[in-house]
Amino acid sequence: MPHFTLSLTQQGAILIAVVGVSAARASALKDANLPIPKYEKVTAMVDTGASSTCIDPSVLLALNLTPTGSVLVKTPSTGLQPVSADQYDVSLIVPSSDTSHVPLAIATLPVICCNDFLQSQGFHALIGRDVLSHCILIYNGGEMTFTIAY
Amino acid sequence: MALEKELETYKMKLPELMKDEGKFVLIHGDRVIDTFASYEDAIKEGYKGFGINPFLVKQIHSIEQVQFISRPLIPCSTYPS
Repeated sequence: MPHFTLSLTQQGAILIAVVGVSAARASALKDANLPIPKYEKVTAMVDTGASSTCIDPSVLLALNLTPTGSVLVKTPSTGLQPVSADQYDVSLIVPSSDTSHVPLAIATLPVICCNDFLQSQGFHALIGRDVLSHCILIYNGGEMTFTIAY
Repeated sequence: MALEKELETYKMKLPELMKDEGKFVLIHGDRVIDTFASYEDAIKEGYKGFGINPFLVKQIHSIEQVQFISRPLIPCSTYPS
């Protein structure tokens, strides 16, 4: 089973991923003779407290995306009532540190746009349980590592 | 606002969409195009039919599902709750 193991940081389980337009959007852009935006490198935290993957708007803007969905979201910043958030379709690739393993790749993933990542959190994205539902996550606190198998 | 018309259409058509609860509906303007078993299939059909023009893909639920994020982030929205 392909997997990678990374060191835990002070912030937690942080990894480098790349985010691009979804495979379907890339195909539509190609058909319209429009350029396909390059993948954006992002720093992301693996967060079992996030039911969905979230991304900073700067990344979505760089990919020239428009929303294809809307979902209700509740965070500690939203108060008691959930609020609407724009949802975008993207592709996500997490390269394996072991080059003999294929990367973790999702061709079409719905992500939620959330502000305040870089300013308050220091990274661009949360990898949520929607991605982890395809994986095995091992958090090894004693060794200060985490492993994702997929 | 992005997807305003499509979200209105979803709300209006929800009673008849309920037979497909759990599936993903594709909406363009005031038209319900079809329902799909997977998000990926609905997105594919959306781009195939409408290119980069606006379309909505939404999972059908009688009670809107809420995504929970334990970090103090502020969701971005072009559409009011």
